Amino acid sequence: MAVASITQGGHDSHGEIDQLYIETRELRLQGFLLFLVSDCVLFSSFIFAYLYLRNSGQGWPPAGINRLDVAFAAVNSVVLFGSGATMHYALENWKHGNFMKFAWMLIFTIVLGVGFLCGQGYEYTNLIFHDHVSWWGSGIFGASFFTLTGMHGFHVFVGVCYLTVLLLQSAGGVYTKDKYFGLTAGTLYWHFVDVIWVVLFSIFYLL
Amino acid sequence: MVEKNAPAVRLGRGFWIVTAVLAILAIASIVFWYVAPIYRWMHLPVAIATAKQVDQLSRFMLATGSALYIFVVGYIVYFAIAFRVRKSDPPDAIGIQIHDNHKLEFWWTVIPAAFVVLLSVLSIKIWYEITLAPSNGLVVEAIGHKWYYTFRYPQVNGEITNAMHLPIGVPVTLNLTSADVIHSFWVPAMRLKNDMVPGLVTQIHFTPTRIGTYQIICTQFCGIDHSLMHQQRFVIDSQANYQKWYHAWQVKNAKVSNALPSTSGASVNLAAGDVAAGKALFAQKCTACHAMAPFTTVKYGPGLLDVLHDPTHPNLVNGQPANPADAAAILEKGYTGTMGSMPNAVTNGLSSQDIANLVAYLNSMK
Amino acid sequence: MAIAAAPHGGGIADHIHPEPQSFVRRYVFSIDHKIIGIQYIITGFVFFVLAGLLAETIRIQLMHANGGFVSPQTYNEVYSIHGSTMVWLVVIPLLTGGFGNLVFPLQIGARDVAFPWLNMLSYWIFPIAGLMLFSSFLMGAPTAGWTEYPPISLEGQAGTSMWAAAIFLVGVSSTLTGINFVVTIMKMRAPGMTFTRMPLFCWGQFATAPLLMIATTALAAALAALFMERQFGVPFFDPTKGGSPVLWQHMFWFYSHPAVYIMILPAFGIVSEVLPTFSRKPIFGYKLIAFSSMAIALAGFMVWAHHMFTSGLAPYLQLPFMVITFVIAVPTGIKIFSWTATLWGGKIHYTTAMLFAMGFLVLFTLGGITGIFLAAIPFDLHLHGTYFVVAHFHYVLVGGSLMGIFSGMYYWFPKMSGRLLSEKLGKWHFWLFFIGFNGTFLPMHWLGLEGMPRWVSTYDPQFQFWNQFASISSFVMTAGILLFFANILYSIRFGKVAGANPWGARTLEWQIPSPPHYYNFKHIPTVYGLPYDFSQPLPYRGLEDELNDTPPPVAAGAH
Repeated sequence: MAVASITQGGHDSHGEIDQLYIETRELRLQGFLLFLVSDCVLFSSFIFAYLYLRNSGQGWPPAGINRLDVAFAAVNSVVLFGSGATMHYALENWKHGNFMKFAWMLIFTIVLGVGFLCGQGYEYTNLIFHDHVSWWGSGIFGASFFTLTGMHGFHVFVGVCYLTVLLLQSAGGVYTKDKYFGLTAGTLYWHFVDVIWVVLFSIFYLL
Repeated sequence: MVEKNAPAVRLGRGFWIVTAVLAILAIASIVFWYVAPIYRWMHLPVAIATAKQVDQLSRFMLATGSALYIFVVGYIVYFAIAFRVRKSDPPDAIGIQIHDNHKLEFWWTVIPAAFVVLLSVLSIKIWYEITLAPSNGLVVEAIGHKWYYTFRYPQVNGEITNAMHLPIGVPVTLNLTSADVIHSFWVPAMRLKNDMVPGLVTQIHFTPTRIGTYQIICTQFCGIDHSLMHQQRFVIDSQANYQKWYHAWQVKNAKVSNALPSTSGASVNLAAGDVAAGKALFAQKCTACHAMAPFTTVKYGPGLLDVLHDPTHPNLVNGQPANPADAAAILEKGYTGTMGSMPNAVTNGLSSQDIANLVAYLNSMK
Repeated sequence: MAIAAAPHGGGIADHIHPEPQSFVRRYVFSIDHKIIGIQYIITGFVFFVLAGLLAETIRIQLMHANGGFVSPQTYNEVYSIHGSTMVWLVVIPLLTGGFGNLVFPLQIGARDVAFPWLNMLSYWIFPIAGLMLFSSFLMGAPTAGWTEYPPISLEGQAGTSMWAAAIFLVGVSSTLTGINFVVTIMKMRAPGMTFTRMPLFCWGQFATAPLLMIATTALAAALAALFMERQFGVPFFDPTKGGSPVLWQHMFWFYSHPAVYIMILPAFGIVSEVLPTFSRKPIFGYKLIAFSSMAIALAGFMVWAHHMFTSGLAPYLQLPFMVITFVIAVPTGIKIFSWTATLWGGKIHYTTAMLFAMGFLVLFTLGGITGIFLAAIPFDLHLHGTYFVVAHFHYVLVGGSLMGIFSGMYYWFPKMSGRLLSEKLGKWHFWLFFIGFNGTFLPMHWLGLEGMPRWVSTYDPQFQFWNQFASISSFVMTAGILLFFANILYSIRFGKVAGANPWGARTLEWQIPSPPHYYNFKHIPTVYGLPYDFSQPLPYRGLEDELNDTPPPVAAGAH
């Protein structure tokens, strides 16, 4: 078998593993994308629920609830989108072999991600203790807002943990210049979280 | 006709005999469904005008469906017998190796598609007549409860009854809603049903065409006694009898409503109103029809967010100035007018204290 | 070594893990798709027995107009769990996780699915979720049927939350399976196995897997919302708090209508394998059957509101749902006509698998026709929520999916176990089941037309005769099913040894030993055409060594 593969591909003696890596990466990439698709459906269902309830003829925002603070959320969004950009550059740097720059960019991304979570925490605190809006006690407003942004926040949190793991792994030499599927997946996931936030920001703060 | 390189297909005499037999059976079944008094077997009278059209659609679908089914099953059975492997066949005998036949496939795509268009047109036509709202006629409200129905004639001062009477020949709009969980209002004799959804008012329209007493059945699971929710009846009566019933009932209810306090706010101590209790009560009793939102946000009745403080609506729906005492009066006596109708305090199960609490809550919302 | 295993030498196809030796790694926490498939099938049939007991409880209760066998409360729990179990723990796992895992990687010439560990995880979530579902009996099971419409489900007993959690978990399992299958079919087909050379069972799975992946997630959202509302009072569905009961119906049916196709498309696939094999004839209209599966899967996302014609939707919203539902009749009709035409001119062998496949045709066609009836809004406004609907969906789910499952069991049991099921017992099974089934569910059509509503534990005495008829028939059906289990238990030890290809079938899984080796193929074959033409030699190369004693390939790349 080894003979066959050498004569066919003309690879060096590691050719077999490389072909295996290439095929495995393809599978994992596709699997990961499909996972993101089904995750997207989860968000879409809740977004549908939110829009449905919002348009069920009770007026929006419901009585007794103030409009959300767009300015603060906009700043917070910029933080998250900024982290998307740094993540993009982190991966580009890795591909070009600038490992130190990669590490810094990834650290920026993680810091910005944590910053976004803190901002969201601040917003939640404000809503809960100042405006007395709660998840369960404020009708469909509290239900849809906290459920959707909470789900997104949880995704950001998972993303931050994942990126931290990737940082440690890359420092520990798990990835090479040519074999870095974990980093690709992390980047995809982080961009996915960004895109979801674009939608959530539009429908909760701008609409 | 047959694809190149495929073996020639020759349909034998047996095939055509079977096809002829199946065609006769299919025609027989079509005739059967059109002449058979199926709804007499089913003990279902035809109580309203559109029920007949639903029956016509049912006959059409049963007839064409069974004709199709006879052909499919007939051919399956015939092929199963004619093309069975026989003792005389060698063990490696194979069938005729045809892969497809574009002409055949074309036709069995096009014919069902044409049938689908026909069925759509028929269904839409009948659907249109079922959902068509009459411009005038009687409006009655039906409310689902665990596990019975109540009815309200808005013109009769908001009183409820367990027995609905309808006059023959007069178009009826039935507003359906529920006081607790989802129920369903099905009258088999009308071939019509709709769900009764709490917080939502749905409508059905029909014109009674046959005098009689008809069963109402709930078809949505609504709790432990759902199985028993088929015992209530309603009456379709001649116009004269209906008027008699209606007047008698009106007189009876006039007494009831006179028993209510006549001066607005007199029996209600508005000062004792509790905002928090009113809020809870509002959520429980009022949100099926009213939103806590601006006046123009109409759910069934108007939004009540700033009902007592809205400069653009200085008066309440009854024309009285928007003040707590008049709001209390509406809650007590109910309302019927251009905005629709609302039951009175007795029907809604509101005590004087409840009214005071509700008014206090409404007054607190600005 | 004459034939290169794959255009890319040294890829996954050549990467063979050594066979695990310990019992636990081999049969319990196995990552072998065949073992996982068998695990799914065994677990699925265990739940099938439980659901069957619940079904007989229902039928015994309905023997008498006043019920009396169990209390109304228990009765409501019983039918709710019966429906939930049959849908989520029997039919879907058997058809996707069970036959899907067992058969399609073999049919496309793969060594395993794309993510074997994920596959193991999918499986193990499933029995745990099933136990959770049945444990809800201990805390008061849900009573509002498998649809659990709020607000009644909000006031339901504590087990309703357990129900939601259990179905959520099954959904996670299904989603993972869906992702796994899509990637496997997209990326792991043997060389030459183009999409238009894939066996139709694979097409069935390929149409189903995206539905599993996408629709199930929508259900997860609905269940999560129901759970949150019940446990934490987060208002989504409660109208007194501003929520909407109709919202649940939208979210639920957006999943549950595609779920109907999840439950039937793989069965279509099974029938499309069994019919040509035992007619000794190519499947008629291969391409149309394959593409119509995809069309049905796609259209399945656009018809959910036809379950909600009475729910108070705006009338103009209902029309497109009715018309699109009618349109689905066209691809479905194409399939039925093509299967019928497959029989024409064949040399039909009456094996039990073939009988079940033909029974499928007869029963599913009837269920399909009544489905078209119910799609017409005026007819649905009359018969929604009646026994007519019960009859309709049992014809498509039992007469369709379950007949398909039985057909698949008789067909592939030799591949799983190496032994044939007894044909004699099998035929008894078929005829008892077929007659009992029709006796049970045919009368429900006219019970519905006469005015008998669903979900009832007692009913008007005028319906008693046909209910008794149905109950007695259901015992006949049960007798058939008992024979099936007896057959399995007997044949697994004493059945005739099957050999590689007892049916003379032409798809890839029959060209290797029964049961197949751990690594499936000694060499991954190359495919040159469709498998169905009986007048041609088999369109595979590279299978020469499969049935002789040459040593298995070296386990390469052992970690």
